[in-house]
Amino acid sequence: MTVDPVQKVYRLLLFIIVGLLTWGIFPFLAPIIGMLLFSFLFTTIFLQAADSLERYTKSRSLGVFIILASVLTLGVAFIGSFISNMGSQIKSFTLKLQRDDFATSIENLSNGIKDSLPETISNMIPESEKIIIIAKNSMLGVFQSVLSLLGSAGSFFFISFMVLIFTIILLIEYHDFKRSLVRFIPNKYLEVGLRMIYNIEQQISKYLRGQILAAGSVAILSIIGLFILNQLGANITLIVFIGIIAGLANLIPMVGPFIGMIPAILIALMNNVGSDAALTHQLFGTVPSPFYVLDIVLMFIIVQQIDNNFITPLVVGESVGLHPMAVMLVLLIGGTLIGPLGMLFAIPAAGVLKVVIGEIVFVTKNSHLL
Amino acid sequence: MKSIYNNYFRKSDKSDPVLKALESVPIFDNLLDRELSEVARLTHERTYKKDEHVFKQNAPAEGMYVILDGSVEIKDPDSGTIFASLKAGDFFGELALLDEEPRSASAHATQPARLIGFFRTDLLTLIQRSPELGNKILLNLSRVLGERLRKTNEELAKTS
Repeated sequence: MTVDPVQKVYRLLLFIIVGLLTWGIFPFLAPIIGMLLFSFLFTTIFLQAADSLERYTKSRSLGVFIILASVLTLGVAFIGSFISNMGSQIKSFTLKLQRDDFATSIENLSNGIKDSLPETISNMIPESEKIIIIAKNSMLGVFQSVLSLLGSAGSFFFISFMVLIFTIILLIEYHDFKRSLVRFIPNKYLEVGLRMIYNIEQQISKYLRGQILAAGSVAILSIIGLFILNQLGANITLIVFIGIIAGLANLIPMVGPFIGMIPAILIALMNNVGSDAALTHQLFGTVPSPFYVLDIVLMFIIVQQIDNNFITPLVVGESVGLHPMAVMLVLLIGGTLIGPLGMLFAIPAAGVLKVVIGEIVFVTKNSHLL
Repeated sequence: MKSIYNNYFRKSDKSDPVLKALESVPIFDNLLDRELSEVARLTHERTYKKDEHVFKQNAPAEGMYVILDGSVEIKDPDSGTIFASLKAGDFFGELALLDEEPRSASAHATQPARLIGFFRTDLLTLIQRSPELGNKILLNLSRVLGERLRKTNEELAKTS
């Protein structure tokens, strides 16, 4: 089939106009697309439960209501008690900062490090007063940003509310939406299209179920690890919250585990400021680990190793079937394009893309059969 | 919103042509009204022009079709042998619900046709959502295929 050159130019112009419009409109649509993506993610997570409950309750809406009510109750209870606990923790720590405990601790720490290092290197470390000022300012900066983050809870609640509404509608209407979508597939591609939709659904739900199981295991292992550290005197509070955050952070591959460590290290610092025992603590009695920082890092590395080598291969397995190099690349692309959210969606999106490309290749090769 | 309303106050509508057509297919025998409605919710209604292919020989097979209106011919495109001329109420392609082998013959509409498609992915969804109903359909499907096998054996015995 030959295409008229004028038509080619028109097509190119149309492509450029549509591209520019999309580029211009995208920033305004991005939040809505994000909300829809999250709703779709939650729908995929709860779809099977909604289908099963529909069987018992004989009403899909009631099933969806039961699922979301339970999840919301648990979520609100978790976030509410986390915010109140974290708030009081930050408050008491801010008070500690005003006192001399903090300054003394930092001075002791800096002197300790200086003593243990050769003279040439220790001369490069600034005077303890300077370190105290830098540390105080950066600490206050961190906590102020945490508080301002809590302050922006208003928009968070609005987004959550919209995601909830979208999720309810998607969960109730999922199968009807799917049928409406199928109506747009031309007869010629109907069976291939249905297979593609099914494979995409399977790919996403397998990946999500695996990730949720792996996140749960990481949460439980982290709680056990932190409990053991506490038995050794680490004095880390809110271990259940830290464990759950570590589990959730684990949903972002590769970077997540490091995010999971941060709250544990911060809380260990807050709780142990002013304690000489914590300041002079040594890992395995040999390596200096002030405020149990190295113990925490080691514990999370062990949890990660257990997760990577035993749990994830078992529960996630070959769910997406991407080469580790490809995983790293798509993570980088996702992270560069949209940040942490992009990293969260990068792997399942790449999985979906793999299915779509596979089907397109199949259709192109077998077009004479369709 | 209409379907949310329907979800609350859904009743099986006996005058619905899709339900009527499904009811007459042996694969959906012994299904309760509620179960038949559940199957109907998963099916896909399609329209085909005269001489349009429903599927071609050797194409990937995904499921079966029930004819609502019009007529469909099943034939071997190489030899031109017509295996069956089907009309409203008839069904074809049910083997694809069980195996993933390509289509053994071609099907095309000899008149403008309205078909109901019920596909393997729908059956798998149904088995997951409602195993009891899924088992009923699988049992009926086995019965249909068993019957067909018996007939083929009888015809083979006659010719040999």
